[in-house]
Amino acid sequence: MTKTCIDSTRFGRIEVDEEAVITFSEGLFGFEGYRRFVVLCLDEKSPFRWLQSMEEPGLAFVVIEPRHFMPDYAPTISDADAEALGLDADTPTLTFVIVTIPPGKPEQMTANLMGPIIINAVTRTARQVVVEDDCYSTKHSILQELMKRQPEAREGTDAGTHAQSESEHRNR
Amino acid sequence: MLVLTRKVNQSIVIGDEIEVVVLEVRGEQVRIGVRAPRTIAVHRKEIYEQIRQENLNAASVSADDLTSLQVRLADEGTS
Repeated sequence: MTKTCIDSTRFGRIEVDEEAVITFSEGLFGFEGYRRFVVLCLDEKSPFRWLQSMEEPGLAFVVIEPRHFMPDYAPTISDADAEALGLDADTPTLTFVIVTIPPGKPEQMTANLMGPIIINAVTRTARQVVVEDDCYSTKHSILQELMKRQPEAREGTDAGTHAQSESEHRNR
Repeated sequence: MLVLTRKVNQSIVIGDEIEVVVLEVRGEQVRIGVRAPRTIAVHRKEIYEQIRQENLNAASVSADDLTSLQVRLADEGTS
């Protein structure tokens, strides 16, 4: 299997299977030039993952699946986004949101629920979308919700991920 | 900036593939329709800017920031 690697700024050398790479054909907002990322799991017990660029060593985001703090998160995705991702009603997807942790103030961490990352789990293409719902903000405080749900989130396994995320994807 | 005056139901075309139509004018609000290929992203500018800014903030999170957060979560969990 073909391997690909990067000497990342935060985590040192990362070597992954080419198949693990997720392709954002449009990049992320503000980072349109970077297309290839991997999701790193550094701690199985933690709900947090790192979305690491395979092109820019210093570019990485903390991400989390919303099910860990908001099980009913159900963003509406535009037809254009669904089409760009090649999604139909039964395509398995993964949803992550990007987490911001102000330096030295972890209690003020927020998640961007307005611009989630949707991954087509079959093709491993992804897109940061703008949800069509007014109820989700770019700075949703998650510490309290996370602390309430941490024990049960830890018990959850990744096996449930696809089913959960599929129900999250409502195509208009 | 190119400035054009249009009436309701009139449009402008940008290149071969993009059409912007004025659908309705009501007081200070203008409803606009955009016809563009799927590959062209169309967003309200303030929302695009908000998400872009949040991505920039998130990109500066260090590994230590997350570690200190996890320590805190673990502490809360055991206390």
